[in-house]
Amino acid sequence: MKKFARPKYKKKPSDQGSKNEKDEQIPALLFADLQDNMRVFKKTYSYPDNADIVLRKIKVPSLNKEVATLFIKTITDENIVDKEIIKPLTLSTEDKKIDDILTGPSVKKNNQMKDIINAVNQGNTAVIVDGELEAYIVDSSKFASRSVSEPDTEKVVKGPNEGFNEQVMINISLIRKRIRSENLMFETQTVSKRAKNQLYIAYDKGLVNDDLLKKVKSRINQLDVDEIQTLAVLEQYIEDRPQSLFPSILYTVRPDRAVNAIENGFIVLMMDNSPDCLVVPATFWSFFHASEDQYLRVMFGNFTRGLRIIGIFITLFISSIYVALTDFHTEMIPPDLLLAIASTREKVPFPIIVEVLIMELEFELIREAGIRVPAPIGPTIGIVGALILGEAAVQANIVSPIVVIVVALGGLSSFVIGDISLNFSIRIGRYFLIVAAYLFGIYGMTALFIIGLAYMSSLKSFGVPYLAPMTPSYQSSDNTLFRKTQQQAIFRPGYLKPKDMQKKQVKQDDTT
Amino acid sequence: MTQPEQKIGIKEYIAIFTMMIGTKIADDTPTFFYNTLYNAAWMAPIINFLAVMIPIYLYIKVMSYYKGQNLADIVILLMGKFFGYAVLLLLWIILSVAIILDTSIYTDIIATTYFPTTAYFFILAILLGVCAYLAKKGLEQIGSVAWSLFLYTEVALFIALGLCIGQGKFTFLFPLFGPGEWDVIKGSVTKGSVYADFIYVLLIAPAVKSFGDFKKGTWISMIIIVVSATMALASYVLLFDYPSVQMMKYPFHESIRFVELVFLRNIETLIFPFWLTAVFVRFSVYLYFSAMLFGKLFRIKDFEYIIPSIATLTIFLGMMLPSPIDSLEHPREFILFVSTPFLFFMPIILFILAKWKGAKNNAVQKEQSK
Repeated sequence: MKKFARPKYKKKPSDQGSKNEKDEQIPALLFADLQDNMRVFKKTYSYPDNADIVLRKIKVPSLNKEVATLFIKTITDENIVDKEIIKPLTLSTEDKKIDDILTGPSVKKNNQMKDIINAVNQGNTAVIVDGELEAYIVDSSKFASRSVSEPDTEKVVKGPNEGFNEQVMINISLIRKRIRSENLMFETQTVSKRAKNQLYIAYDKGLVNDDLLKKVKSRINQLDVDEIQTLAVLEQYIEDRPQSLFPSILYTVRPDRAVNAIENGFIVLMMDNSPDCLVVPATFWSFFHASEDQYLRVMFGNFTRGLRIIGIFITLFISSIYVALTDFHTEMIPPDLLLAIASTREKVPFPIIVEVLIMELEFELIREAGIRVPAPIGPTIGIVGALILGEAAVQANIVSPIVVIVVALGGLSSFVIGDISLNFSIRIGRYFLIVAAYLFGIYGMTALFIIGLAYMSSLKSFGVPYLAPMTPSYQSSDNTLFRKTQQQAIFRPGYLKPKDMQKKQVKQDDTT
Repeated sequence: MTQPEQKIGIKEYIAIFTMMIGTKIADDTPTFFYNTLYNAAWMAPIINFLAVMIPIYLYIKVMSYYKGQNLADIVILLMGKFFGYAVLLLLWIILSVAIILDTSIYTDIIATTYFPTTAYFFILAILLGVCAYLAKKGLEQIGSVAWSLFLYTEVALFIALGLCIGQGKFTFLFPLFGPGEWDVIKGSVTKGSVYADFIYVLLIAPAVKSFGDFKKGTWISMIIIVVSATMALASYVLLFDYPSVQMMKYPFHESIRFVELVFLRNIETLIFPFWLTAVFVRFSVYLYFSAMLFGKLFRIKDFEYIIPSIATLTIFLGMMLPSPIDSLEHPREFILFVSTPFLFFMPIILFILAKWKGAKNNAVQKEQSK
């Protein structure tokens, strides 16, 4: 056994060695001679085959030295390179140090070849001077991105409409704009080996629980992956139970929601190329809530919460209740309605479960097609879906009209659930319930529901129980199914163990 | 980040306790009261409660001397190894028999009232399967499930009972003392063992966050149970009068079939899921207790792992019982009869032993030394 096991372990380091071989060809330090340096850079970047690499040699008259600039023009602001690097260098007349000639806002020195290359890959410009052992790295990155716009999901009527975009610096600035505090931290961590994707961990150092922060960081550190493009992928790597039906990390595109989370002691993860952020840890309630709940007055906010509860209930149960009632508990249905159902089902040749599943599947297909369909032919989907499939299916006696109503109501209600992850959980959970209802009626449904609830209560997201603070209970503002008024919401969620529990002082008149 | 393992709050404790004992008003236990107390059965829970207050108080008193230890530890500590284990073994056997009989009775309820054509085995298997899954997850999870649905179950119960009372006839309650004052008191007190499950609750006493919560939770749950039991026993009489109720096996299910809610002629399917929730919680707790006692008896530390085996065994033993279950001679009365001494006499013995062993002094000294 040992003999077999050994090469397996040996393979790993050698594997990594091959990955690092390229790096090893690069000398560790910068040479004194500019020609040598240029040769290394040319080879590393396969210049000039590599189309967007710019390696330019210029003469600095004042120093009487040759200088090379290296940058990648597609991710660099050429304006900065021109005005703050090339022009000052070529036009300088006085005998000044290079530091003083370069006018860019941030200039760093580095003698490590790897770091320089890394910096250039990030969109910076490297200035290498003949005879000097250190290169100057000027901050000049400019990545293509769209401007801040309204998010397509998580829409609100009342409240801010800014959404995150694909550039993390803009996202960070959107957050900084809302929290002007020195306690706000954005730590970076590299999450992938080859693509070296940077992750930004945002939190309030005066609030966040250190153990939680450590736990999040260590889970990210354990990653051994070549590349992680976006947060949506990272989410799947770091969540507690990847195969679970229930999401355990909140995904949001709204900066106001992220800020709200940070202010409550949560940790927010951000990354380039992701128009969103992840909030950890997440409880069931964070998926249930929407940011507008907080902006609307307490009555109105709770009204929408109430609608959402009903929406979830209908989405989850209506089809299975229909199956259970018509299959097992017909005495529940008022006789007139029962007769009506029976008469419409008279001509339908399928058992109820088949009928319901056909319609459910159809609805899901229309929905999926609606997302993928190119915009110009979008309206066709509506016509085909609603009119032809629904209406014609009834006329062709494939389904009974009441099933169309039941499934359509369930499908419509599912749109009330704003969070995409919870939306999927509930939509998938519904099928299990339909099968349970078909097998054992209400008994099967209740049994499955209890199992689901037991499973949910055993879930943990970064150590936080999924149903907290409802059960197990913690000190908090009791923002679960419904919320309190802003004045009554005094505490930060206790399950996070924040450094400062109290968000606001209780007013004297409130305490009486 | 997480709270200590397996600690439950007062809310969860109340939910577990209430669902565990409270479901008895919706099975065949009421019939047992009607048989001797006729239309005065509704007084039984109150008189009963007064009678069991003393043993419960004594139990809590004894528990308070040994905080952080559960009943099993205390029994062994006070009664010595031999007698202690013997008592625990007896308790475990009673509980196991109770689980087997009760699950069969509940399967019978589900089968006769809602699923007359479904095979008995499947109903029993699902019942125990769900309970085993829940129990295996641990006490914390049972508590969470119980508490998240507790309020809805209570609301459903009170709606059902309220409808029964509203649609019943108050004259059925008279004569007020049914068979006679003395008979009512005697009949009620001797049936105090319906609360005998309380003994098993003591097993999880240290799992409640604080002893104060345990004490408070116990009394609150008892009051909820007494109120709902009184209402339930009265409502069945109001609806059917006592001679008919005496003939019924499961008066709760008969009455929810009988009452109407505005335009809905049959509300039993509406109430059914809530009742089922309580049943699932009840048997998960039973399974958990059973495994806990078994673990104590045979020194198994991770006793949660034997829950599936106990559940499987219960299914097969339950299937061996004659069906329908009522052909067994008074199964419920048998359980209640044997558990009576544990409820009434054991706390006295434990209390005397605790006093005798000077536990209180020890406890005080310990606290002072801390």
